[in-house]
Amino acid sequence: MGFGDLRAASGLKVLNGFLSERSYIEGYVPSQADVAVFDSLSGAPSADLVHALRWYHHILSYSQRSSLPGVKKPLGQYGPPGLADTTSGSAPSAAKEEEDDDDIDLFGSDEEEDEEAERLKEERLAQYAAKKSKKPTIIAKSSLLLDVKPWDDETDMKQLEALVRSISMEGLLWGQSKLLPVGYGIQKLQINCVIEDDKVGTDMLEEQITAFEDFVQSMDVAAFNKI
Amino acid sequence: MALRELSSLEKYLGLKKPNKYSTQGDKKVPVLQNNNGPPLVGLGTIASHLVKVAKRPNLLGDSAESRAVVQQWLEYRVTKLDGCTKEDTKAILKDLNLYLQDKVYMAGNQFTLADTFMYFGIHPIIVDLSVQEKEQYVNVARWFDHIQRCPGVRHHLPPLAVLRNRIYTSKHH
Repeated sequence: MGFGDLRAASGLKVLNGFLSERSYIEGYVPSQADVAVFDSLSGAPSADLVHALRWYHHILSYSQRSSLPGVKKPLGQYGPPGLADTTSGSAPSAAKEEEDDDDIDLFGSDEEEDEEAERLKEERLAQYAAKKSKKPTIIAKSSLLLDVKPWDDETDMKQLEALVRSISMEGLLWGQSKLLPVGYGIQKLQINCVIEDDKVGTDMLEEQITAFEDFVQSMDVAAFNKI
Repeated sequence: MALRELSSLEKYLGLKKPNKYSTQGDKKVPVLQNNNGPPLVGLGTIASHLVKVAKRPNLLGDSAESRAVVQQWLEYRVTKLDGCTKEDTKAILKDLNLYLQDKVYMAGNQFTLADTFMYFGIHPIIVDLSVQEKEQYVNVARWFDHIQRCPGVRHHLPPLAVLRNRIYTSKHH
């Protein structure tokens, strides 16, 4: 929710898009929701944001805005869902203020000022690095069940299995296997494997397995489950 | 159709005694026979009369300018909209879309008769529009959706889904 920064062009654009199919911020009558957003604007939106402008003039026509129904909620509660609430952007502005104060400190020596600026910079870099490393990288994995079919019943299934297991790739782990009869004495190898989605693809696997042309007639993915 | 609209309007206005209407001519112009006065002929005339009877003059516009605009749209409804051909509807929708770009209501900043009767008149056109066309006339869609949700307006007409993203709440069904 939220429109982003309504003092900036990006926020106003979101507001414009939101109002293209709505007459009011919330519901179908003017309410404190409209007042809240109206008060946060620094002036009329520009002429190219037709919907925002229309809404602005309409709300402007209500002289008793405080008597409109509803309860004012923080700005981040209104607007299109799915947009990250950026109204709590007070942290960077506070840090900026800090820096401004440093600049205004006329009685401090130059050396001191540099040190302060350096220290702040280091602090912020450290914060950024910490934030980045804290983000856990979730590796997407899937569990596959592959059916490997031989040419005929004379194929040595043990060797076929050994060949399949010999395929090693980063992000590929072989699991259990069993032999299933398909008829006429032919057996197919059903083997499990766990792959990391980013690193291994089924077509890669298929290529490598069917490369053993003497043994493997075809390969199918019998089951594909996300873990 | 005009008669149903007038009875819808009566309900909206809360008029207790429904009037008896008749029609004249092959265009089925509605006629209201007043007991003591001359008969009133015409959709706009009768509607304005009903509004005054119900003592809701603001429905005709709250300023001289908006009163004029309301009359303009009532006239538009009867002359241009009723009985228009398929080719005309495109031009009408285009005009309306442009007009509604900077307006929430048809006249002024409040709901008026102009909104009611333009809504009634446009409804059959909107029924036939495809999703792409509704997206094309985005202002008409917005205004239409707004008016059809105003309490008490939409008596005899079914609600229409004009906006793509809105999930229709069950109470409208």
